[in-house]
This record gives sequence, C-alpha cells and structure tokens, in this order.
Amino acid sequence: MVSAMETAVNPSVRSAVRKYFKNIYQLFYSILEGMAVTFSYLFRRPITIQYPYKLDKPMDEIIPDRFRGILGVDLRYCIACRLCQTTCPIACIAIDLERNPETKERFITRFDIDISKCMFCGLCVEVCSTGTLHHSKIFDGTSRHVENLVLEFVNTPVRPFIKPKSIEDIPVDRSGAITRNKLKDFFDLPKFRLTDEA
Amino acid sequence: MKAFADKLFLNIFHIQAADSPYLALWYVLMMFLVSFILLNFAALFAGIASYVERRIAARMQNRIGPNLVGPQGILQWLADGLKMFLKEDLVPQTADKFIFRLAPYFVFAGLFGAFVALPFGYGIVAADLNVGIYYILAITSLVVVGIISGGWSSNSKWALFGALRSAAQIISYEIPTGLSLMLVVMLAGSLSTQSIIESQGGWPWEWFVFHSPFTLAGFFIFFISSLAEGNRVPFDLPEAESELVSGFNTEYSGLRFLIYPMAEWANLWVVGAMVTLTYLGGWQIPGVRLETIPSSVLLFLISITIFFIKTLAVVFIVIQLRWTLPRVRVDQMTLICWTYLVPIALICLIGTMIWMLAFPWKSVFGTAIRILMSTVGGSVMIWCMLRARHNYVIDKDRFEKLKGIPAWYPPWKLP
Amino acid sequence: MKNPAKVNEAIRHLKPQAAPFEEEMSLNFGPQHPSTHGVLNFLVVTDGEVMHQALPNIGYLHRGIEKLAEMTPYSGFMPYTDRVDYLAAMFANQVFAMAVESLAEIEVPKRAEYLRVIVCELNRIASHFIATGALALDLGAVTPFVQWLREREFINDIMEALCGARLTYNYMRIGGVSVDMPGDLPDKILRFLDHFEPIIDEYNRLISNNEIFVKRLADVAVISPIDAVNFGLVGPNLRASGIGIDLRKTLGYSVYPDFDFEVPLGKGFRGALGDAYDRYMVRILEMTQSCRIIRQALEKIPGGEYRANVKKKLKVEENEVYSRVESARGEMGVYLISDGTDRPYRLKIKTGSFTAMSIVEKASQGLMVADLIALIGSLDVVAPEVDR
Repeated sequence: MVSAMETAVNPSVRSAVRKYFKNIYQLFYSILEGMAVTFSYLFRRPITIQYPYKLDKPMDEIIPDRFRGILGVDLRYCIACRLCQTTCPIACIAIDLERNPETKERFITRFDIDISKCMFCGLCVEVCSTGTLHHSKIFDGTSRHVENLVLEFVNTPVRPFIKPKSIEDIPVDRSGAITRNKLKDFFDLPKFRLTDEA
Repeated sequence: MKAFADKLFLNIFHIQAADSPYLALWYVLMMFLVSFILLNFAALFAGIASYVERRIAARMQNRIGPNLVGPQGILQWLADGLKMFLKEDLVPQTADKFIFRLAPYFVFAGLFGAFVALPFGYGIVAADLNVGIYYILAITSLVVVGIISGGWSSNSKWALFGALRSAAQIISYEIPTGLSLMLVVMLAGSLSTQSIIESQGGWPWEWFVFHSPFTLAGFFIFFISSLAEGNRVPFDLPEAESELVSGFNTEYSGLRFLIYPMAEWANLWVVGAMVTLTYLGGWQIPGVRLETIPSSVLLFLISITIFFIKTLAVVFIVIQLRWTLPRVRVDQMTLICWTYLVPIALICLIGTMIWMLAFPWKSVFGTAIRILMSTVGGSVMIWCMLRARHNYVIDKDRFEKLKGIPAWYPPWKLP
Repeated sequence: MKNPAKVNEAIRHLKPQAAPFEEEMSLNFGPQHPSTHGVLNFLVVTDGEVMHQALPNIGYLHRGIEKLAEMTPYSGFMPYTDRVDYLAAMFANQVFAMAVESLAEIEVPKRAEYLRVIVCELNRIASHFIATGALALDLGAVTPFVQWLREREFINDIMEALCGARLTYNYMRIGGVSVDMPGDLPDKILRFLDHFEPIIDEYNRLISNNEIFVKRLADVAVISPIDAVNFGLVGPNLRASGIGIDLRKTLGYSVYPDFDFEVPLGKGFRGALGDAYDRYMVRILEMTQSCRIIRQALEKIPGGEYRANVKKKLKVEENEVYSRVESARGEMGVYLISDGTDRPYRLKIKTGSFTAMSIVEKASQGLMVADLIALIGSLDVVAPEVDR
C-alpha cells in the first residue's frame, strides 16, 4: 500500500519531501557530532598556561634558545666595529666612539638601543662577530614612559675588546641579566610564580 | 502560596489568618518576602551561570577561564557586576532618552516576572496559577518590548537592526512555542505548572517527552523555539556580535547594559525549568507518587534536587550548544520557523490528539511505546558519549607524544 | 565618500536597473566592526537586511612599505616583508629573496630551498587556520576558532624554535635562510603532523559538516570562474571557482617539482561552484596537501650549506625582475627594479588580498548584511596586505 502511494505521488514532490526530512536528519546528526567534539574537550588538558601566575617551568626553560627577545650587550667583548649600527634597518642602535686626545686610545662612550623602535629582526645579532650583541630571553619590557625603553649600556666609557686569535668561543653573558638591569621599570612588573605540582 | 502563608500565620501567631485584622498586611508582607527571595535567586543564578558558562566554554576551547577573583574565580561575576555598576551610565545625545532609560526595565520585569510561576519542587511555587504556562509565555514576551524600544531609541543603525531582528524572531517563534506547549496542556489537561508535573511520572517512560513520537518532536520544537526566544546561539541574531557589533545593546553602558546580559542568563533558568516541567517530568521522584503519600521534608528535598539536576542538565546543553554552533542567518531563522517548526508542531498537535484516543496512558501498547522510545533516547545519549570518547581516544597518544604531558584532564580537576 | 547622499547618487548612476529605494541608508561597516579582520572599511548601502551594495574603502592601513624599500639596503628590507602579510610572513620573505636572488644571480643551496619549502608550508597551514577559523568565528561559532588557535600555537612553537620569532619570522636571507634547523626540529614537526592530521577530521565534524554552517555558506556569494579570472582572483579563491592555477604546480618554483601533491579545486561541495563554502573547503583540503609536502620535504632534505655566500653590502646591476610565489592568499609577486646601488630603485608588491577586495563590490550585490561577513571571511582578506 505504501509503494502504491509512493508511485502515485509526483516524483518531484517525493524528492522535495525526502529533502525536507533529510535536512532535519542532517541537522540533528551534525549537531550531535559537533557536541560530541566539544564535550570531549571537557576531558582534555587545557593548552593555555597561567602566565605569570602559574607556570610549570621557569620562563627561561619554556622559551627556546633561539628566541629573539630584547637585545643585550655584553660590553666586555665589544670590538666597536659598528656593524650592528649600520645593519639595523631602522637605526635603533646608537654607538659613539671617542678618542682620548693624549693617549690616542679609543673608548666606547655610548651604546644605546632604543627598544621602542626595535623590531627584533635579529640582523644586528647576525653580523656581530664576537656575540657581544645578543638576544636575551626577556620579552616583558612594558614601561610607563617611552624614554625608559632606551637601554643605555655604557655607564663609564670602556675600551673596545681586542679579539685574541686563539679564542674561539667568547663567554658572553646571555642570561639576560644585563638587559634586565637596564629595563628601568622592570621591577614594577608581576613576578613569576611556580606551581607546586610542577 | 496562599495556603502556605495561612499556615505560617497560624504557626507563628496561633490564630487563623482569615480571622486576623492584619490579613491584608500579612499577605503583602509575604508577597514582598517571596519576591525578594525569587529576585535574589534569579540574580544569583544569572551571576553564577555567567561564571560557570565562561568556565565551561573555556574548557571546551582548551582554556582555563576566569580563575583569579576568589578561589577558582568564583567571585568573577561579582567583580564584573561591580565593574558595570561603577561605569558611567552613558545616554547617547541623539537617543530618545526617556525610552532609552525605560527599555531595560521591561527586560528586567519580563524576565523576572516569569519566576513567579516556575516551580522548584513539590508544592514549592510562588504562585500556582491556573494559567501558569501561558502566564510565563506572556510575561517573557515583555522582554522583546524592552529589546525593540532599546534598539530603536538608541538612534543607531546597528541597534535598530538588532531590534528589528528581535521583533521578527519573537513574533515568529511565539507560535511554535505555544503550539508545542499545547501538546503538554492536552496531555495534562491543565495549564498549571504543578498539575502538568503531577500528571507525569518519575521514570523516563512516564515523561511527556517519550509519550509518543509526536511529543518527542514537540519537545524539540519547544526546546528550539525557547532558545530562539531567549536569544541564545544559534538564534542570537539580535545581538550577533560579529554581524551587528553588539546589536540592540550597542549603545548601552553601565548598569543599564548589565540588565541585558543578566536577563539573558536568568533566562537560562527559565528555559531549563520550562523544558523540565513540561516534558521531562519536573520534580517527580522515580517510583514515588508524592501526592498519594504523606509529605515529609526528605521527599521535599529529593524533589527539589531532582528538579535542579534536570534543569541544570538542560542549562548545560544550552550552554554547550552555544559554544558549538554557528549562528543562523536572519532569513533562515524565519524559514526554520515557518517551514519546519510550525507545520510539524501542527501535525504533532493533531497526532497527539489521535494518539491519546487510540492509546490511552495506561494501555499496554502505549506503555510499550513509551518504554521503547525512552530506550531509544537513552541510546542516542550513549552514542553521543561514545562519539566523545572516540574523539578523545584518537588524539590522546598523539597529543601526549607532542606535548609530553598526559592528555586526561577531567572537568572536576580544576586548573 | 564622506557624503552618503552623494555616494547614493553615484551608485544609482552605476546601477540603473536597481529600483530606486527612497529609504536607502548608508552604513559604515568597519573599521571598528568586530568582523572586518583588521582595519577594513565598507560602505554598505541598504534599506534593511538585504544590502544593495557594499563598497570597499581601500587605504586604511597604508604603511608605505614599498617606499621604505627604496631607502633600505637589500638585506635590510627583509624584516619589512614580514609585515606585508603578518599571517603568512614566510611567503613575503621568500618572494623578496627570490627576486633579489634572480637579479643578483645568486645560486641558492638545495638545503636552503628545502628549508624554505618546509617553513612556507607550515606557514600556509597556520594562515589557513586563521582563515577558516575566523570565518567560523564571524558566523558566530567561537570554539572552532580557538581550536585552530591551539593548533597554530604548535606551529608557532616550531617557528620559534627554528628562528626565534612567532609571527614576524625574518627567517629567509638573500641566498638562503638565516639559520639551519636545530637537530630535534624534524622530529618535532613530524610529531605535530601526526597530531594534526586527525584533528582536521575532528574539526570537520565540529564545524565544516555542521548543517547550519553549511547553510550559511553554500550558494552564498557565488563567484563564477569567468568572474574570478576577470577580477584577477588568485590562490584558493580562484581555485574554489574551479580554475586550477597553483604556482607551485604551474610555475614549479623552488623545489616544488620534487614533491607529489594535489591541488584541491572547488567543485561545488555543498552548493554552487565557487560559493563561500567552496572557498572554505579548498583551504581545509590544502592543509592536508601541505602536510604531505612537509613530510616529503623532511624525508628528502639534503645536507650541506644552508646559505650561499652573499656580500654583506649587496649591489645589484641595473635590471628588473618579477618573481612570484604561491602564498597562502594566492599569488604574491615582487616587481623589483635595481639601479646599480645597494638599494632597490622601485619595488612593487602584488598581493592576493588586494585583488580579493576588488570583487567584493560585485559579489556583494543582493547579499544580506550577515552574508557580507561570510564573503569577506571566505575571501580571507588580511587588511595590511590590501594596502601594504
């Protein structure tokens, strides 16, 4: 009887009716599938970390070694070649050299990096032959005043480093301590806290 | 409620309330007390629901959610409310200032008025109106007055879009809501919320939802159109953040703005409670007919718990839907209503009438169908759980290999 | 543009067949609108939900990158190319490096080319995450977008371990790449791919197959193959209209001929050919192909140098070149004229988003306001790439 009814109905009407119910079925099926996905996420580990309040590891271990953070200068090993200054596409590095008129000795009197301009491209670090200019792992350089973001690495004039031929690896301090000291507002920032369960 | 007030009066003052000269005063006092409790319940629920929803949504999105204010962020909603409270109450210069200020009151009154007729447990209802269901339908429609007037008076094009969408939406979806409620009213033979629950039973096969295929369809129609009336995803067109900036409440700020989201979250409870009481058996305890045995405090508490669990389960589904689904378009919204919900609701209405005549509640075939349907419903839920488990199992090992930490992190393990 | 009445007049003149609507209003869609993907601005002419026209207003994010190139040495311009399209910075890196290399006739080591392909394909996946996720976000589904952000985070971690940056990589150099892969990176990438490939299916279950989502995108803003060519659409937008132009295949630049992969084409998955859903689906399918390419590249990668010897102060003789790559948003080209100095005489960047914006005016006719965001989202317009 059902088949008789089906043949009696116009095929276009039948396909329309089938489409109508197929729509309803597909709607419910796809919604249930989607809800199964979202529901499964309730049992999966959240991927975000609670920076800076709850960290499993210290930030230095989370950040990879090649991280391009705020620049640091270990002045002990600067040979004053000024390559970084000329390479910088936005001229955010300023280096001044002065010569003592009596002893004819050269001194680095200024090594400023304007972090507010810096775009962390790493071109300057690439050309530095001694590794004195390096990226630290510091990224949180928020400051209340933009002038605080000009890092002045020279306190008293220093002699340029003369690279001995024998030395291959120069023990530059890459811990970020130098940069951190120069960030004037740093100590206003929230401190890291490690979770107990780590 | 009146009986309860009389009884309380008798217990406190040891005279019949009807004999007392202060009868009217006592009733007014009790009215204030009850509305105070209800208002606080609704506001508290709205606040906590906002927090819980954000936490659930966060976990569905691999996040943690608000957890800084108070232990596990439980006071986040208070902080948000307080912040809103302290904000300046801006009224746009070109707005229709009177209506702009008035609109949130409509929303507030409409939503919170619904709580009067909602039951919470056996015999626990502020006013067991004999037109309870339709009272709730009618008073929640007041919300749309607030939305339209708020959107219109803002004098902003985006707000006007939101308001007009809301008008179209509510007008469309009142009809399937009413029709699908009619099924329940027919089955129960009453409009009162309490007697609708009383005519159902505690076991799933005694709920109206599994009464017949028609009521099952009616259940879904009612659920969908409640979502639409409450402006929830996938029907949050009046707000439609990514389309209309913020829809009707674009120009609102401060406490007046707070009313809108608060009403939306309070509406979660209304939706959950309405679905529970009409189709899911309300507060009925399995195996116990509360009206046939002497009342006891324990049974009261169990009935309240059952009602709360059912309602919160529905609320959870609504929340989960919101964080799963995209939004429908405005023409699709009306299309769904007029080509799917309304015709099917009409068919269901007639079908249920015939079903009631053909297979009475206690008949063997009717019972068999009810049990069969509840089994099918349960299996669909189990299938969903298995699919969720499947999703988890596929990713588990690969995720652990990638991150080096266990992937299992159940929701009760709060980060 | 400032006077809406004037704009309405102009549109009437443009479209005489449209019935004159007295109640027409013009609506500023953006730049503060939540779903304009940056700083886009559209002037929407409408009298209700159905738009009569949406006019894109190009120029909100013009930063003069092309002019900057004339003042920067060749090697110093590389960080700026990151900023052309911040969601797919590697492609701009690559196309600029390729342009200078072909001008200065520098031979790039094979290993460097393989590294470029690997990072570019990873970047393509990351970019498509944002494209497909943001489309879902615009349509009101927040969760898929955040799921994709999680996957993108793994790619960002890989990039960070490789070159130290998560978004503006500045990884490539003229004549190669800046650094070689760390030893554990191939394993890391493979672990990511193992994790990621089943996630595509899960994502499809979550949103791509969702009936509401399909209904929102299918048959919306159909761009016919003829229109797609006439308006100069490129990349996934063009391929969604069924035209199989993929520079990785047709041009075979870099080492792409070494790999076995397919170019997914739109075929009307759930509606008409070239609708918004096709544009969405083509991107999802491209992710799988990118995974295939990365796997093959990691297998085949040769040893050796990763960077050719290039003078620090590179001077290029007077010449001109046009080089192009298949970016995540289609053909990205650099037209470079050198004049013998150490900096370009003129540099022009051609991007996919710019041409995608050109079709908005035509494709948006008769759509609803809600469909406009589906159109913009499906075209995957990135605002800074439009204006450069």
